[in-house]
Amino acid sequence: MMTPFLTLFQREIARFLKVIVQTVITPFISSFLYLLIFGVSLGAKMPSHQGIPYLSFLIPGLMMMGLMSNAFQNSSSSIVSSKFSGDMEDLRVAPLSNQQIIWAMSLGALVRGLVVAIITFLVGSIFCYYEQGSILGIVHPFTALFFIILAGLIFGLLGISVAFWATTFDQLSAFSAFILLPLTYLGGVFLSIENLHPIWQMISKMNPLLYLINGLRYGVVGVSDVPMEMAIPVSLLGFILFYIIALISLKKGSFQRW
Amino acid sequence: MVPLKIDQLRKKYKGGQEAVKGISFDVKPGEIFGLLGPNGAGKTTIISTITTLEEPTSGRVEVFGQSVVDHPNFTKKQLGVVHQEVINSGFFSVEEILAFQSGYYGIRNNKERIEFLLHKLSLYEHRHKKVKQLSGGMKRRLMIAKALVHTPKLLLLDEPTAGVDIGLRETLWQFVQELRNEGMSILLTTHYLEEAEQLCDRIAIINLGNLECVGETKELVRQYTQKKIRLTLTESFAFKTNYLFFQEGPDFLFIVPPGKPMGEFLAELQIPVHIIKDVKIEEGNLEEAFMKVVKAPGAEK
Repeated sequence: MMTPFLTLFQREIARFLKVIVQTVITPFISSFLYLLIFGVSLGAKMPSHQGIPYLSFLIPGLMMMGLMSNAFQNSSSSIVSSKFSGDMEDLRVAPLSNQQIIWAMSLGALVRGLVVAIITFLVGSIFCYYEQGSILGIVHPFTALFFIILAGLIFGLLGISVAFWATTFDQLSAFSAFILLPLTYLGGVFLSIENLHPIWQMISKMNPLLYLINGLRYGVVGVSDVPMEMAIPVSLLGFILFYIIALISLKKGSFQRW
Repeated sequence: MVPLKIDQLRKKYKGGQEAVKGISFDVKPGEIFGLLGPNGAGKTTIISTITTLEEPTSGRVEVFGQSVVDHPNFTKKQLGVVHQEVINSGFFSVEEILAFQSGYYGIRNNKERIEFLLHKLSLYEHRHKKVKQLSGGMKRRLMIAKALVHTPKLLLLDEPTAGVDIGLRETLWQFVQELRNEGMSILLTTHYLEEAEQLCDRIAIINLGNLECVGETKELVRQYTQKKIRLTLTESFAFKTNYLFFQEGPDFLFIVPPGKPMGEFLAELQIPVHIIKDVKIEEGNLEEAFMKVVKAPGAEK
């Protein structure tokens, strides 16, 4: 009963491990560069936020950014490359239900996102040790874990939905570049929205990514632009919504080769 | 239990094109059933509805008594499928692909079966290669191995030998016969009519989404072809006969009904035996029957 699901889950993990340079080493280098330039060099000129040094403030933001984009990429590129090579049909022909496919793929996405988040956290901790003399602790571990799991799943589900809807590689990269990336940058990865004009603050609060990013920031360093009473339900709602969207995509979408 | 029952199947695509227009046939236990037709006849669409890649517009498809629409989990487990187009999965080795495939069918440790198939299909020494490193023929064999990891009861082969050289084709067909002898039921489509004639117990010919005829291979050939008897004579002879015949030099070519006994035929001609230099019989074949059926749609109706 569980074997088909577990097999697909394993395949999703095995797939990103096969291209480890692209999936794990690249995020390692990019988070290293972000931390070096924004966290250390520019960060020295940034005021501390509610007593939190900018470097520590930035780390959970970068963790969430890496987590979200890698989770999205894992499920979407798995599906898109399978559609391209034709083995997506195998999944439809095999006795796997839509639910099993969705859970296996979004959990696989979560694992890759989690790996990237942990790497970012470790790299960040080393920077903290050099800059501040102590490694970064986690203030609310369960809250941090909650937001990591939800964000990983949500972006895995989003990847599934977009990949099923997309009919070319271009559409997939357009979604990343024109929707995902702006929402990530405007979602408070690099700064607190308190620094923004009130109108932009209002607009930012409509960005669902803000709640996930601040949720993890609250979990790691204990500060957030949005109250947890808001961030938790918004994230849960996001999960349910994207689960339904992914399910519809699978039912209506095509498994057939491009 | 009938391995496959297709009843009044229709499939209309979104663009309005009707690929299958109410086709019915079934595949009996342990038989090799050939689904033949020119390109675009609807063969792949029929296979896609069996595997649930496409949903029927109307009609019913049953695998071992269960509807593929209502009980896909059951029916998918009974099926092994070799798609027409070669799959090029880029990330994994032959061995890994087969292990994952087994897992999708709920089989966790399938080493024995996988090794058997690798040996059987001469892929064993290539088991660590990725798909892109395989030759076209190896890719085909990998697809067949993939379809067989879970020992299905009904095997669907959608042109498994397209673009495959003759030596490999023969080995593949031998293997298909072995599988049938083990009790597997097989539905295949192919463009190699000579092979289909040798291999298939029964055949359906479809054209433009319609079923033109279905029946035992030998019976279809008999029904749709003619027997030709060529007599070479040592001297001329005035035939008094109702059979259609052509003279080609010293040869006389007679068109007779299939199954007409030679002795009876010669007796009817009242030809002295000593002037017959040679007799040649040309039986019809499936290709001839196929051409006749496909060129005259609705011939049987």
